[in-house]
Amino acid sequence: MPLRPARVGRVGVIRAPVAKTAVVAAAVTPGRGAPVAKTAVVAAAVTPGVGRRRRRI
Amino acid sequence: MIAQMDQRTEMMMTEVSLDELGPVDYVVVEFPAGASSFTGEMAAELRALVDAGTIRVIDVLILTKDADGSVEAMELSDVGDLGELQQIETELAELLAADDVEQLAAAMDPGSTAGVLIYENVWAAPFASAARRSGGQLIANGRIPIQAIIASIEADESTATVGD
Repeated sequence: MPLRPARVGRVGVIRAPVAKTAVVAAAVTPGRGAPVAKTAVVAAAVTPGVGRRRRRI
Repeated sequence: MIAQMDQRTEMMMTEVSLDELGPVDYVVVEFPAGASSFTGEMAAELRALVDAGTIRVIDVLILTKDADGSVEAMELSDVGDLGELQQIETELAELLAADDVEQLAAAMDPGSTAGVLIYENVWAAPFASAARRSGGQLIANGRIPIQAIIASIEADESTATVGD
């Protein structure tokens, strides 16, 4: 089905072709074959106070 | 029709002053051929985000890319039973132009279908507004891929192993 005429002839807001990002479905969906342990490590890394890493600057 | 779009856009801009507008983002969710399993779960979660005032949905398009790479776009209103999305559909601002379709579809694999969602981060608006009132300027923003976090953790682990 065609787009509404209001969308035609206007300047777009997405200025450049969109690049595909890495698919993270397996990492964010615990289940069969998902890297659950890795997910837990990442979750710990982004949770304040849990598994905190020292920043080396 | 153009007048109708202008009215909707104008309404959006007057109801929410520019200073109080949260950052606007987009996501493209691809469903590879034969892999879609629509149970209504996505619609329910989206509706929950809207109802909680976390986001405001500005526009939605459904794209299909044929095996030969040709792209077709469909309005949300052209989907049969919208269910949870019915209310959202009536409030769309039709921000995307036809020109945007090809740009967005560039990320899609042939044979896939994708949902494009444009949304305002309503949750961020008060903070952004406060930052501006405090003299702050947004000079960068972005998203850190989970893969980058994993790579960083793994690099740390290997460094620790070498150092031991």
